[in-house]
Amino acid sequence: MKVSREFIAEGLRQARYVTNERVETALLLALTLEKPLLIEGPAGAGKTEIAKVLSAMLGSELVRLQCYEGLDEARALYEWNYQKQLLRLQADEAGGLHWEELSEHIFSAEYLLQRPLLKAIAAPRRVVLLIDEIDKADEEFEAFMLEVLSDFQVSIPELGTVRATQRPIVVLTSNRARELSDALRRRCLYLYIDFPGVEQERRILESKLPELDRAMAEAAARFVNALRKLELTKQPSIAETLDWARALLELEIRELDAPALRATLGLLVKHESDRTLVESKSAALLARAPRSPSRNP
Amino acid sequence: MREPLLEFIGHLRAAGLRVSVAESLDAAAAVAAAGLEREHLREALAATLVKDQADRPVFEREFERFFRASGGAPRPPRSGRSWQGMSGGHGVGSGNQPPSSRPIVDPRRQPGPGSVREHDQAPGQEKNRSGPARDDAHGENSAQAARERSMGEREGMQPGARIAGTREVLLKPFSSYTDLEYERAVDLLAVLRRRLRVRLGRRRRKARRGQVDFRRTIRAAMQSGGAMLDLRMRARRPRRVDLLILADISGSVRYASTLMLALVAGVEESFRRVRAFVFIDRLAEAGFERGHLTMQSALDLYARSDFGRVLAELITRWHRLLTPATVVVILGDGRNNRRPARSDLLAEIRRLTRAVIWLNPEARERWATGDSAIGNYARVADALIECRNLRDLEVALGRVGDGMRPQHGLAPKAISGRG
Repeated sequence: MKVSREFIAEGLRQARYVTNERVETALLLALTLEKPLLIEGPAGAGKTEIAKVLSAMLGSELVRLQCYEGLDEARALYEWNYQKQLLRLQADEAGGLHWEELSEHIFSAEYLLQRPLLKAIAAPRRVVLLIDEIDKADEEFEAFMLEVLSDFQVSIPELGTVRATQRPIVVLTSNRARELSDALRRRCLYLYIDFPGVEQERRILESKLPELDRAMAEAAARFVNALRKLELTKQPSIAETLDWARALLELEIRELDAPALRATLGLLVKHESDRTLVESKSAALLARAPRSPSRNP
Repeated sequence: MREPLLEFIGHLRAAGLRVSVAESLDAAAAVAAAGLEREHLREALAATLVKDQADRPVFEREFERFFRASGGAPRPPRSGRSWQGMSGGHGVGSGNQPPSSRPIVDPRRQPGPGSVREHDQAPGQEKNRSGPARDDAHGENSAQAARERSMGEREGMQPGARIAGTREVLLKPFSSYTDLEYERAVDLLAVLRRRLRVRLGRRRRKARRGQVDFRRTIRAAMQSGGAMLDLRMRARRPRRVDLLILADISGSVRYASTLMLALVAGVEESFRRVRAFVFIDRLAEAGFERGHLTMQSALDLYARSDFGRVLAELITRWHRLLTPATVVVILGDGRNNRRPARSDLLAEIRRLTRAVIWLNPEARERWATGDSAIGNYARVADALIECRNLRDLEVALGRVGDGMRPQHGLAPKAISGRG
């Protein structure tokens, strides 16, 4: 596919996804080379969001396969609609159709339940296929994915082979719950997304919440950044920063001080132990996130 | 562009990254797509050649070094080699040298740590030779560049030597380690841990017995027109393994023990619970803090190994750790200084737990000699594995992670590492 860097940058801007050149280049390559893109990084850094942005950018459908332990082909690829087939058989019992005729009928596309992978392959238009948290799936499933990712075709014994007319754009995400095989890594482009720095997070806040004033956005970004440097059980994600900032807006909090923090901390910190840690250090954290006097843009 | 690219990939490989042929093709296509602007080039190469964030620093170092002089687009092939310090006139002068000729001595051809003097000399000479030329070519940045470069060269020797040494260290018997080799083995642990994690993730096997899998049974039944002729089974969820490690740290096997504990500490999350003990003639609970072995209670390091007493102590004091989900791994040479072997106690431990696996760092030929009681223990343990070097250790721990009783029945002699 022919895409330009400007197209990508414009698409990201439209989707209000604030990012850096690294991500831009990776997306450009994923679209031009038509190779799957493997994205790793901490939870909540915006990996899944990239697939959504891609699909918005291309104006194509997003097909999502959420992986989990024990995910198998039947739920990832296709399955026959057994109940419907059974009903059909029973309905025909009196009709006296020949078996050949009948079996041809009940093994037709009408009785096939398309799961995400088949859906992506059989789609008439190019889709974006998001395979989320591939590290949660079993090794065997990963091996099966390799096959699908290299050929983009599936054979269904009763129906024949389904081949992708247009190769889907594939995005895989992983939190490193398990090491992925080198074979999978070799076949993919690789992108690592970390939490944004203060500056980038401020820009994210500003682009998603234009009502938030600049000083507040700066203070919030600084505070969250400082939080991520503590040893928390769960680090606050970008989405949580946004929720928190939204709450600050709703509560009309103009200054980030200890009482304001106590009232809203639940949106950022979701473990009791983390909460006590943060509250014990809130003075230092707030000092690092100075309540900057209104310096308007 | 092709030649400098291939050369750059060569440097990455020398620095320890694994780059496949397909990946180099991807890199070429990526560069064509992303363009030669420096940052775009960097990210295009990174996305196609570096598939693990852990390798990124190495990539950055090599990238900076290789594409430094050129300021953006890589130079045409000939001067593309200038990263080696052969910039300016020197590079042109060497135009008819074969590509493989390098101004510095190839570290791989050097016999080893004995030749430190040569290592030190090489960068110095290099600096003298190319210094003036570079000053002309690069103006004010040149002094710093020269410093970095000469530093880089000294570092640069290490990756090559390290790769060449890797295999050697993996196969070197623990018993003949020098302190230097031990350090190198410790450096290698990170790689081994990663490989082991992959291996341990692969534990889920399809069992022939288990629970009935309704979905698959019914789906299979559709092929026979709705009659359930064949039951499909779902593999039972893999039981996670509790690991109990006993490691002898007496002089003869201490390298093997500390390396094993360090390796296990890195893959701890692959097991449900890990408890580790070190012993000589008594037990002490062990842990790892920042890569250093810590013991809960002091051990007499000058004592002589007494396996029998240690086994007795395990049963009396740590009885609650001996559960049916536990795999007991003992690392030791079984040299018991002619004290009672008490293999009956090992049999008792075996009865209480899922498996007992004995790793012996001694060469197989020496097992039955002198004061070795390993024969007595071998009759009781599920497996006795010869574990003479890092590679054996890696293989053995992978099998422990499988948490399965050995497939060859209970005859321990039939099972070994690589004999």
